[in-house]
Amino acid sequence: MTLGSGGSSVVVPRNFRLLEELERGEKGIGDGTVSYGMDDGDDIYMRSWTGTVIGPHNTVHEGRIYQLKLFCDKDYPEKPPSVRFHSRINITCVNHETGVVEPKKFALLANWQREYTMEDILTQLKKEMATPHNRKLVQPPEGTYF
Amino acid sequence: MGGAGDSSESKVSNEQGQGQGEEGSVVINIRCSNGTKFTVRTSLESTVGVFKSVLAQNCDVPADQQRLIYKGRILKDDQTLHSYGMQADHTIHVVRGFAPASSTPAPAATATATAAAGGNPDTTTGVTRGVGSNEGGAFGLGGAGLGASLFSGLGSLGGGASDLEQVQQQLTQNPNMMREIMNTPAMQSLMNNPELIRSLMMSNPQMREIMDRNPELAHVLNDPSILRQTLEAARNPELMREMMRHTDRAMSNIESTPEGFNMLRRMYENVQEPFLNATTMGGNAGNDSGSNPFAALLGNQGGNQVRDASNNPSTTGSEATGGLAAPNTNPLPNPWNNAAGGTQTNSTTRPNPAGNVRASGLGGLGLGGPGLPGMESLFNGMPDSNQMNQLLQNPAVSQMMQTVLSNPEYMNQMLNFNPQLRSMVDTNPQLREMMQNPELLRQLTSPETMQQMLALQQSLLPQLRQQSTQEAAQPGAPTGTPNNTGLEMLMNMFGDLGAGSLSAPNQPNVPPEELYATQLSQLQEMGFFDTQENIRALRATAGNVHAAVERLLGNLGQ
Repeated sequence: MTLGSGGSSVVVPRNFRLLEELERGEKGIGDGTVSYGMDDGDDIYMRSWTGTVIGPHNTVHEGRIYQLKLFCDKDYPEKPPSVRFHSRINITCVNHETGVVEPKKFALLANWQREYTMEDILTQLKKEMATPHNRKLVQPPEGTYF
Repeated sequence: MGGAGDSSESKVSNEQGQGQGEEGSVVINIRCSNGTKFTVRTSLESTVGVFKSVLAQNCDVPADQQRLIYKGRILKDDQTLHSYGMQADHTIHVVRGFAPASSTPAPAATATATAAAGGNPDTTTGVTRGVGSNEGGAFGLGGAGLGASLFSGLGSLGGGASDLEQVQQQLTQNPNMMREIMNTPAMQSLMNNPELIRSLMMSNPQMREIMDRNPELAHVLNDPSILRQTLEAARNPELMREMMRHTDRAMSNIESTPEGFNMLRRMYENVQEPFLNATTMGGNAGNDSGSNPFAALLGNQGGNQVRDASNNPSTTGSEATGGLAAPNTNPLPNPWNNAAGGTQTNSTTRPNPAGNVRASGLGGLGLGGPGLPGMESLFNGMPDSNQMNQLLQNPAVSQMMQTVLSNPEYMNQMLNFNPQLRSMVDTNPQLREMMQNPELLRQLTSPETMQQMLALQQSLLPQLRQQSTQEAAQPGAPTGTPNNTGLEMLMNMFGDLGAGSLSAPNQPNVPPEELYATQLSQLQEMGFFDTQENIRALRATAGNVHAAVERLLGNLGQ
């Protein structure tokens, strides 16, 4: 929507961009099926974030809450944040050992553009859970973590 | 939306609630997972637990099932909203989750009661409300019984021989063991599947009839969350006791209201009798409730209600004659007594399976008792070997069995629980060794072996059933030649193994994608991308990946 709308002419600096995302996360602006916020409100670089994805309906993920860690390094949003599942999940784009969302297998990270937001990542991951090859995979018990 | 002005504003508001002087309450936006939104006014100093109960009044998710998400974090009950940096106009997401597993007994018990009351569609008068909570309580226990019997199905895989009740008795008297079993991942995955339990219930025609006749009841039974709660409760003996106490309290309070007794009587007539009929009918029709596999299982439910009723007539009876209208302050018939002595009651009435159902009603906690014959007969009553095969090949089932079987400790414990089996094992050290060799067990439980066993068992079935009836009639008294008994034990064991795991997805109408999910993903990883073809191959090979691969490759070669 409005995020990065001025991007063509004005490059939104990292801090403003993250503050904007923070506000959207806190106020639940957006499609409201994902939630995210900063881990440490005192970190002036706003690097470490927590996100949750609520499992989409009609999938094995339904009713589950997946927690993720997102880390926006100094080069965000030029470079994608690193994204890691905290809650155990079995989907193709997530490393089974570490929970890291592997950019090679997750198009949004592979073809990252600076207009993309963490919300986009989370909603895309949610869509990923609902894809035919992921929606019926046997999942580890709920409440287990990487 | 995202103008620069907004951003700087949020920067200010982000400074951990400093400007929060505005007399306590702020407006918080709530978004439910089903898409509804509303706002709530609350103090930021209130704890998440309190906040949840506020939310429960505004949405259909009971407090103990709410999971709140804010800033990507799941909020914990004992923290304050403020501690999460909550601000005015911020948004919290509400997701319906499962009742917390490790909840403290008392609050959870009341929460269950309220949940049940809330779940009852016609909670208009005080009286019906009371009944609502009573239902909650009774079914709570019923569910617990279900859980117990599910588990007993499992338990019997070690002690699968004839003297099942004894095993159970010991288990019910050992809450720790029970909890341990309930906490195994296998059990948990079972419990997380209320669908399954419901399908178990729904497959009993009598049960279905009752549900048709009593919409309220059906509602309770159909509510997966209630079922789940009750199963959770089964895991926690304290919680269960607490729930039973609540039920008794509620019942006595209802009785003291003017219409209360009639209400209870109606309830008894409407709900309990059909229940009992449903269960005992099954028990009478075939020995050992053979023809109605679910009878015993569900008998727990009916039985529970009997418990309430059987307590009540004693008190109400005296009230009626004495004309007392005052609230009953007498101590209630000791519910704990029942809980502890339940299994004893069971064992005294053991010879009669139907009586058993009733006894378990008295026995509150002893409900697991009849569950096992139920399981056993479930197997016997399942002539469709295809169904069984399907079941045995189900990855979830085999996974579950493996968890149980791969733990020699566990097997040991189970073996020791059953005196008869133990004596058998003692006289035959080889057998013990065998039983404790996980490798061998795995082999034994491989789908192929199971199939063979199944075939064998089916041929032996008539004979077997006869024997088991005999044994049910006089447990402990060894019947047949020792050799025969041993064989039967083994057979039973495997029967129960299968039957116990029936609780796993035994839905014949499970789509093959789901049924063979793991195999499919394996095949996919191997590079077979045609899902349809894969499914066909898996179907043809009954889920055997290796065979499926061979088949697929064979097709390619042609």
